[in-house]
Amino acid sequence: MPSTDNSSAPDLRGRKILIVDDDRLNIRILSGILHGEGYVLADVDSGERALEVYPQFQPDLVLMDVMMSGINGFDTSRQLKAIYGDDAAPIIFITAKTEADNVVEGLRVGGVDYLPKPFRANEAVARIRTHLANRLLSAQQKSLVEQLSRANAAKNRFLGMAAHDLRNPLASIRGLAEFLQDPMLGTLNAEQLDLVKTIQTTSHQMLDMVNELLDVATIESGEMKIHTEPTSLAELVAKSVHLMGMEASKKKTQLTLLPPPSLPPLALDPAKMRQVIDNLLSNAIKYSPPVSNITISLSIADNHVRFSVRDQGPGIPEGERDKLFKDFGRLSVKPTGGEKSTGLGLAICRNIVEAHNGTVTAENMPGGGCEFRVNLPITA
Amino acid sequence: MTFDGKILLVDDEAHVRKFVGLIARTLGNPTLIEAGNGADALDIYQREKPDVVLLDVNMPILDGIGTLRELKKIDPEAVVIMLTSLANRQTVEESLELGASNYLRKDTPKDEIAKRLRETLEAIFGSEENADRPA
Repeated sequence: MPSTDNSSAPDLRGRKILIVDDDRLNIRILSGILHGEGYVLADVDSGERALEVYPQFQPDLVLMDVMMSGINGFDTSRQLKAIYGDDAAPIIFITAKTEADNVVEGLRVGGVDYLPKPFRANEAVARIRTHLANRLLSAQQKSLVEQLSRANAAKNRFLGMAAHDLRNPLASIRGLAEFLQDPMLGTLNAEQLDLVKTIQTTSHQMLDMVNELLDVATIESGEMKIHTEPTSLAELVAKSVHLMGMEASKKKTQLTLLPPPSLPPLALDPAKMRQVIDNLLSNAIKYSPPVSNITISLSIADNHVRFSVRDQGPGIPEGERDKLFKDFGRLSVKPTGGEKSTGLGLAICRNIVEAHNGTVTAENMPGGGCEFRVNLPITA
Repeated sequence: MTFDGKILLVDDEAHVRKFVGLIARTLGNPTLIEAGNGADALDIYQREKPDVVLLDVNMPILDGIGTLRELKKIDPEAVVIMLTSLANRQTVEESLELGASNYLRKDTPKDEIAKRLRETLEAIFGSEENADRPA
């Protein structure tokens, strides 16, 4: 009769149980107890036979007597674990009351539980159900994880391919729009020039977004490699501040780089670290109200160098902090100048910084605004 | 410097040839020849003996690295500058080892590409007024 009483429990009918016992009576009793559960049962009378039968029968659970002539239950269990590793079926040892001390050894050699003799039917049925259910659920979970990670890898491949194929055309559109503004090819009237500039900036933004998608695909697929060399962080920061300063001045935002202390060279991938610095600065500019100040500083403490960017923006809404450094983790806060964002920039930053054994954090400041901090280890 | 030599531009994407071709024109008054794949590039190279080859890395049939290798067999003195989009470190290093003079990132703004190209050509041909290949 199909059981429908407990709908949340997995259906265990058809699960296979191997009973290993040299005592015919025990096998008969266990078979009787389990009759009606819908399991497929097989029995053998020795550890040697168990090892033989195991690969054909492929049980979901093994009930194993401890004291047997030939190799005993514990040694049989050890061998099964040695051959099948973590995929081996869970083993429940059948022990006499007097063997209670051996329970510990049984658990150590890979048993998951024990059934004391004489058997209490209800208890035996319940324990067996529990372990079969655990086994089934963990197999389902494992296959789900495998499916998900395959799907994620496929998504990353697709993302990488799409982004790759979009980059060259976008770069050309941007470049050709640049050339249309070049007097080398003649002059446009003011309105035409304005349209061409719009094409240029729009394709430039798209290229940035596509690059971010590609970065994420690369990072997630584990293909991101960093190539460190002794690098002056202060120089990288100064260059980035200089370049981003032009972007900032469009919004009348002031970038102020505080004079850095003397810093040792750090083992950095300069291109990747530059990406982090650019991203944090560009975020600060994006989310700052027009006519505000962004303060950039470098400091040294506890064998770490810290690079900080402090803005006067709206800060990070409470409750959204955990989204901040995650893929597509766009917050409810919007850029103040209509700038575009994929929500991937900070996830990329975190990945790059972590690849350098560093950390990146963000704090709302008491006086308003927030501060992003990158901590990088000083290595000898 | 102005560069008035002969440039062979190899890329399978027409829009890239158009863009990089315009960049080449900012150098002076070069003669531009185009090839859409590596195999054609080898034929044209032998016929036209260009001063410089601008060579895309990612191409079907015969890719940039393969084309570079063949070009260097035909003419060990061939001046080849690679065109890449993402500067793939491994590819860049491999092409430099095979004798490419430099690489240009075609996904950077035109002035950056032009500057890098001009500097590379100056380093190779000298910064005299006319940088036709020395006889």
